[in-house]
Amino acid sequence: MSILKELWNKRSLIWSFATSDLKIRYRNSVLGFFWTVLEPLLMLAVLYVVFTSLFPSTIENFGLYLLLGIILWNALTRGTEIGLHSILGRSSLVNQIYFPREIPAISASITSFLMVVFEFVVFIIFMIVFRFIPPNTIIYLPLVILLEFVLITGLCLPLSVLNVRFRDMQFIWRLVLQVGFFLTPIFYKLDRLPENIQMILKYSPMVQIVDMAHDVTIYGKMPSVESVETTVALVLVITLICYLIFRIAEKRVIEEL
Amino acid sequence: MSSGNAIEVKNVSKNFRLYHEKRTSVYETIIGMFNKKKYYEELQVLKNISFSVKKGEMFGIIGRNGSGKTTLLRIMAGIYQPDTGNVITNGSLTPFLGLGAGFQVELTAKANIVLYGILLGFSRKIIEKRVDDIIKFAELEKFADTKLKNFSSGMYARLAFSTAVQVDPDILIIDEVLQVGDLAFQTKSYETILSFKKRGKSIVFVTHDLSSVQQHCDRVMFLNRGTVSSIGDPIKVVEDYKKSSLPYE
Repeated sequence: MSILKELWNKRSLIWSFATSDLKIRYRNSVLGFFWTVLEPLLMLAVLYVVFTSLFPSTIENFGLYLLLGIILWNALTRGTEIGLHSILGRSSLVNQIYFPREIPAISASITSFLMVVFEFVVFIIFMIVFRFIPPNTIIYLPLVILLEFVLITGLCLPLSVLNVRFRDMQFIWRLVLQVGFFLTPIFYKLDRLPENIQMILKYSPMVQIVDMAHDVTIYGKMPSVESVETTVALVLVITLICYLIFRIAEKRVIEEL
Repeated sequence: MSSGNAIEVKNVSKNFRLYHEKRTSVYETIIGMFNKKKYYEELQVLKNISFSVKKGEMFGIIGRNGSGKTTLLRIMAGIYQPDTGNVITNGSLTPFLGLGAGFQVELTAKANIVLYGILLGFSRKIIEKRVDDIIKFAELEKFADTKLKNFSSGMYARLAFSTAVQVDPDILIIDEVLQVGDLAFQTKSYETILSFKKRGKSIVFVTHDLSSVQQHCDRVMFLNRGTVSSIGDPIKVVEDYKKSSLPYE
């Protein structure tokens, strides 16, 4: 509990890490924050062309389905990638000033959250372009996104310290993400997969989160109580385990820099 | 702890790992599990250090390179955890261990002051009010909106120092950073530090500038290979240090 209090007292610092990361990323480029949205749009274009002309998809509102999945998946990729470098990239800083070691990871997660907010502006534009009127259940989307950010923060914590000790952590993590992209229903629907694989994938929090987001945003369907419970439990357990790993790994981490 | 002390350091020891072959990847670590040979040595940097700094005192730490001064300061600042022993601080503490930790060269001087101030524990509102004063103190009015990458190292140091002293902590920890800037700014820095002392703040001060140690410090500690060699009167401790540094004893 005392750590929560300390983090609350340092909220200025958390916020300033998060925003300065953003500024440095985009202030120096002509297109500014449009770079944030360019990347998912490019991916959208490629996947859209492939799955409308090459392998026609039967998914309703496929464009929006795809974009939503890409935005949510990108949040994870980017959040954890910023998280991986959040301590290593501040080596001179953490050597000279004390602050709780949780802060870089939390800031990384917030940075990626801010980028998601920009991307949802694009999502809204696309809804208008496709003349899509969202169902009422879209009000639950922020909750789904919040859940994802608890997960991203959890993952960032151990990644930020493990990447100091094991410099190949970033490559291993990139592999995990690459596999994860294909095992998450971003450009297909989960029910197209064989049932035994579906059973396993139900335990991937990202599968659940993306699925729930699709349901509430596009199809006006409330997720089942069971799947909400499973997801919340999964996210909390993963975050807790991640935090424990973080606590063990953070001990000598500053000296290893 | 007794109320007259700003910092109490009790039986602090610290070991570092001195790697023969550093295992910096998961791959190497897994391979290394099958290789039972010890791949690092323990190097004891601090051995059972105990001392206290009184309130309103200027406390100097001297010693040769590698004697553990910086490690000790980092432990006092909470950056490193001691292996044994503990440090109790009474009041807010600002470490000033290196110049401009956390400065972002891509941001302007003003933006960096805010960033650095927040790092040192200010809230955004307070630091934003003081930005102009800090710029003025650093004598950098012309460069307030210049990106830091275009600063000279002296300007950089002045900006960092000016921000740090604005925090007005109860305890200031300084590691060999006062010899920055030109002569005029050095004098100004010393005056600022001394004004801290006048207001009853404590200062822990590591330097190789022995004359300023003798001139300004109330007490001095001589750290030799991780142990306290002598502690007390500045003139006497500096003599000890000089004697031990002679090439032939």
